[in-house]
Amino acid sequence: MRARLLFLLPFFSGLTAAASGFDTCPQGARVLGLGGASTAYIGSIAGLSVNPGLLSQWGDSLTRISLGGFGQIRRSSFIGQDTYKRTDQDLTVLPGGYFYATRAVSKRVSVGLAITSPYGYHTKWPENWEGRSVIQESQLNTYFAQPTVGFKLNDNFSAGVGFVYAYGKYSQRHALGQYDAANTSYQLSSSGSGYGVNVGLYGRSGDNLAFGISYRSGVQLKMNNGTISTSGVPARDAGLYPASANFKTQINLPSTLSVGLADRITKNLLLTFDFTLSGWSTLDSLKLDVAASGTAPAQRLNTARRYEDALAFRVGAEYQASPKLTLLGGLNYDESPIRDEYINPEFIDANRLGASAGLSYQLTPRFALEGAYSFSYGQQRLARANPLNATVSNVGGSYRTATSTASIGLAVAF
Amino acid sequence: MKNFCLNLWSRVGLTAVATLALNACAPGQDTPTPTIGVNVSRYLAVGDSYTAGLSAGGLTLASQEYSFPNLLAQQLRGAQADATFSQPLLPAGAGSGYFNLVDFTALGFPRTRRVPGPAVRRQVINPAACGGADTVRLLTRTDAPNTLPQNLGVPGLRLGQIEVAGLGNETTNATPTGNFNPYFERLLPAADPRTYLQAVTDAAAPATFFTYFMGLDEVLVYVRSGGECGPTLNTAYNTLLKNNAKKVLDKLTAGGRPGIIARLPDLNTLPLLRLGQGRNLEKRLQTSFADTASLYIQDPFGTVGMRITDASYVLATTIPRIGRLTPVVVGTTTLMLPYGRDIRNPIRDADVMDYDEMSRINDVVSRYNTALNDLATTTYKMPIIDSSTKSSTLDLNVAMPDYVGSAISVGGVLYSAEPVRGNFFSLDYYTPTPRGNALIANAFISAINKAYKANIPAIDANSLPSVAQ
Repeated sequence: MRARLLFLLPFFSGLTAAASGFDTCPQGARVLGLGGASTAYIGSIAGLSVNPGLLSQWGDSLTRISLGGFGQIRRSSFIGQDTYKRTDQDLTVLPGGYFYATRAVSKRVSVGLAITSPYGYHTKWPENWEGRSVIQESQLNTYFAQPTVGFKLNDNFSAGVGFVYAYGKYSQRHALGQYDAANTSYQLSSSGSGYGVNVGLYGRSGDNLAFGISYRSGVQLKMNNGTISTSGVPARDAGLYPASANFKTQINLPSTLSVGLADRITKNLLLTFDFTLSGWSTLDSLKLDVAASGTAPAQRLNTARRYEDALAFRVGAEYQASPKLTLLGGLNYDESPIRDEYINPEFIDANRLGASAGLSYQLTPRFALEGAYSFSYGQQRLARANPLNATVSNVGGSYRTATSTASIGLAVAF
Repeated sequence: MKNFCLNLWSRVGLTAVATLALNACAPGQDTPTPTIGVNVSRYLAVGDSYTAGLSAGGLTLASQEYSFPNLLAQQLRGAQADATFSQPLLPAGAGSGYFNLVDFTALGFPRTRRVPGPAVRRQVINPAACGGADTVRLLTRTDAPNTLPQNLGVPGLRLGQIEVAGLGNETTNATPTGNFNPYFERLLPAADPRTYLQAVTDAAAPATFFTYFMGLDEVLVYVRSGGECGPTLNTAYNTLLKNNAKKVLDKLTAGGRPGIIARLPDLNTLPLLRLGQGRNLEKRLQTSFADTASLYIQDPFGTVGMRITDASYVLATTIPRIGRLTPVVVGTTTLMLPYGRDIRNPIRDADVMDYDEMSRINDVVSRYNTALNDLATTTYKMPIIDSSTKSSTLDLNVAMPDYVGSAISVGGVLYSAEPVRGNFFSLDYYTPTPRGNALIANAFISAINKAYKANIPAIDANSLPSVAQ
């Protein structure tokens, strides 16, 4: 049994980098405790958003609901390449939540709904830090609603398909450091939505081994209502920086391809493995199409991102400690989609190694409390700023990032 | 913050509470400790306008405090706490007077006004100076005239004048035609006949470290006058510059004293020239006048007009006058023609550094730079600063913004040769702003780090003001 898993080893050892862009965290307290390895895990209906193929596995007579919230603290420290000044990001808590519901409509067909907040970040640097003219604060929040249908193909196999509606909000601001006044500011905010699909397959071979495979398409958040506003610009340069302007942009969220295994080692111990490829390369650049405003002509502001596809490897363990108490643990290694040349303080990411722990306590046969905590630590990243390339706004230095995520939730079946 | 977190970690141990508390802190990183392998306890800066901290055509207390040697000295103090640096500070206020921004013309060029200087105590006017009447303004003396300051930068000091006796003696030399520098005068006790070289000799004795950035004011005499004034550019002049540089450097490097010798930057990086580069300026004028008129300059070998090329540079101080209607005698009638934008009314030679003048002065600069490099490498055996060119002198071009329109980006802020909006150069089209000084100081720091196994932090230039007054 274990020998079969050895095929994963070359993948694992071949990874050189770690963290998965602006993924928030596994969307559910129980799967967070499991380190996110939930493509073939049916212990929580939170697997629905990862693999719709799991849906029919909850196709009995019960209606299941799982809901909860999480908070994520993601902080980086920075040391200027030449100034040696250390700056720590301000403390921000990125809130999020999830809601899942599943119900069978016939022997073979089940329906489900997943509402999640899978991508997002909140970067906040001190107002007067070295890179204040690059970024002071940037925030992305996304919400996915995914109605899903699952089909039981036979006793051992099931498939599912979900439709994803995504809504996202993006804002950022930075100082205009060319002016002496400390309160100059350039801020933009926008929101928009996009669509995608999610398909998956789940199968069992024998009683102890299950596998899952799923694919979620990328989502293009089209934001047509963006506004840019500036403040503190001297009157002489009002033509260069109008007080307000409109813009359009688009943020591409990645596709994900996940393969997972769940292996029941003993009666009380389940191990899960996930291997995920995120198609971050669709996030090539941030293009702001700014409309003309006053004497300022229409223009396109292009910031290169050049993300590359990134792998994540996750392993989780579920241990039934008592009839009521289930303990969870997990490890994960996430590769960063951000190349060295494009490290930018707006969003700092690094290859990350993380560990998680959680528990589920069955208060009554139909009602469980879940909680989990996860911590990941990133490799040091070195950003080089080239003054001679005037089109790139950046600061040079080294970054370290740590992420803490805590989640609590309820699972109900009735 | 970091220490607090780590202590908490070690004290409380691996409890869940501590884990949470720890993770709320940003991950730790060690900040490099500033170090330097040579003694910088007494740093001596020798040079002219840039070294003195001249900005926007004037020297004030604030501009002195933002001089690149003073910014550099502050960074050196991080590595060697007992390092001192003294400057011949003016009283607070407008000092020698300076240029203030009034507004921008329709062409985007700044209009300035001269703020009078309260430190001016006497004026000596030379009505017959080359290029028009010249006013020498004598200034209040430094508080400590009996001790030479460590910033020996003297605005307007010409390399050719270093051995002029009485250069700073009001009694003997402050006459309309006298060889006199009021900024040098205010460093010395009254009626002191010392030459600049003697002052360097005296100030160098206790010094442990030096910077040398001199010669720009020397060649600027020629540039500012469109090639009309200043010494004849010939072999004898090249030799004079080389010999005088060696005389100063012999004193500075005596006994193997460490330091940094800076070469002169390309003259066309200065906005005085860069803003008026032939066809670029022509295009800019066409855009703002919304026409297609060419730009004409006087043929250097005659008085007829010829269309400008990119090898000729109109002095930035002239640009606001271009296109104004001025009377020109054509045949027997007097016509009102736009200055420079009609072949019959070309820009006069004194307002242009034409290709011939540019190549002559560039040759002087290049020979001077080569001479400095040879002295540093061969004579003084100074450590290598740039390993790719095996050069032991600092190339300041790396710190200067390159071209108008293009720029360098520092921490998200663009620096270009445009005065005001470019942040690097001040309103006199020549000297740097405090931010420009910080970038120059950073170039020196980078050179010190390479040459003297040092680890001196650079300055966050964006945190300094963009005007010195």
